Amino acid sequence: MIKGRQSVNVFTLLLLMILGGCGASTVTVQGNYPTPNVPPKALTLGVYYPDEFRNFVYTEFTDRGNEEYFVQAGNSHIELFNTLLPAMFQRVVVLDDLAAAGSAEVDAVFMPSIDEFQLGIPAKTRLDACEVWVRYNMRLTRPDGGYIADWVMTAYGKSSQGTFSSTERGINDAAVASMRDLASNFALTFDQIPEVSDWLNARNNAVTASRAN
Amino acid sequence: MIRAGWHLINPGVRFCLVALAALFLASCTTTTIDQYRQGDTGIEGHESVVILGRRQGAAYETREEFVECVGDRMGNGRDGVNIVPEQLFVDALFPWFEPRTAPMRSDDLEQLMAQPLVPEKISEFGIRYIVWLDGETQRTNEMGSISCAVGPGGGGCFGFGSWEDDSSFEARIWDVSSRTAVGTISADASGQSYMPAVFVPIPLIARVEAKACNTLADQLKQFVIGG
Repeated sequence: MIKGRQSVNVFTLLLLMILGGCGASTVTVQGNYPTPNVPPKALTLGVYYPDEFRNFVYTEFTDRGNEEYFVQAGNSHIELFNTLLPAMFQRVVVLDDLAAAGSAEVDAVFMPSIDEFQLGIPAKTRLDACEVWVRYNMRLTRPDGGYIADWVMTAYGKSSQGTFSSTERGINDAAVASMRDLASNFALTFDQIPEVSDWLNARNNAVTASRAN
Repeated sequence: MIRAGWHLINPGVRFCLVALAALFLASCTTTTIDQYRQGDTGIEGHESVVILGRRQGAAYETREEFVECVGDRMGNGRDGVNIVPEQLFVDALFPWFEPRTAPMRSDDLEQLMAQPLVPEKISEFGIRYIVWLDGETQRTNEMGSISCAVGPGGGGCFGFGSWEDDSSFEARIWDVSSRTAVGTISADASGQSYMPAVFVPIPLIARVEAKACNTLADQLKQFVIGG
């Protein structure tokens, strides 16, 4: 009888282990992002992180259509922008609500979003690396919601198989590398976006004119 | 005495020992170094060198471990030079040395040094030379097979495997003070590794990348010291 019970326990344990092994893994992206060495622009920027951005999760499916990996990258993106933007602008105000932009005394409101996220893992690509490719949509508006600029940015990150101990670790490292790529590109090209550049020039001209008067 | 002892060994074991010794000798590495100097060099005690890996290519990336190996070797010894760790430098100079934004040619260095905040950061580290390392180690000619089995009475492996490793690295040296390229050193190393297995696999590994690292680092050190 005892032997029978033990067999059931062992069977249950094995079943749980098998089921556990079949479940999808969750990767919560974690990384450190350095402060960019760029002179801050004389602007007060409002930043609004939409809920889809804050809670962004990418799901990677197996060839049979089962969930394989959940990549939670929302928090890490917010951490990245909260490091990046205060170094790029004189003052940054994080807005919980877009409607609060008018009363927050900001010059413009920045709103990032993730349009597409792609993941490449060695088991599928047969490459010795994990790769992450992301397409973002960046939006800059006036405090009243008026259009300033809307542009697309892409980011790519790779982690070589020799440097990570598990696929989860590789996914994390590739995602962090892609976010560093985004940050470097964003910091160096922000004022080269034609609409942003036009708006900055118009604003500077207006400030110069008002000082002259 | 040794000869007498040698004769006492079973001829089969003797054959194996001779074969292993032959394989061990064969698993050595050949290295070729090529240096091209474009300008005078020299380094003061307060100045330092940063070694950075090129990671722009889609096909391969210069491994961090190789960059670290060259830096460690250059920093060692009585004539060791000050080496700034790669990640520390790249983070401190963010976003100017990321794969997408890093200067590709020595002409870009002039442009980079014209950017606000960059010259101050570089001089904080006392950087005199930036060394760009580019290359990889490739494994080719993999042959043979090893089978392992485990049974109630024990286990073991039997077979033979061999492969060739080829390392090819290039170091481009930029002088930050003159904002010019002062030279290029390339190191090519190759070696055959063997893995005979009679019950236990015996790896006879040619340390190709380590050899390329040591040779390149020694040459680089002499190059920046100048004279």
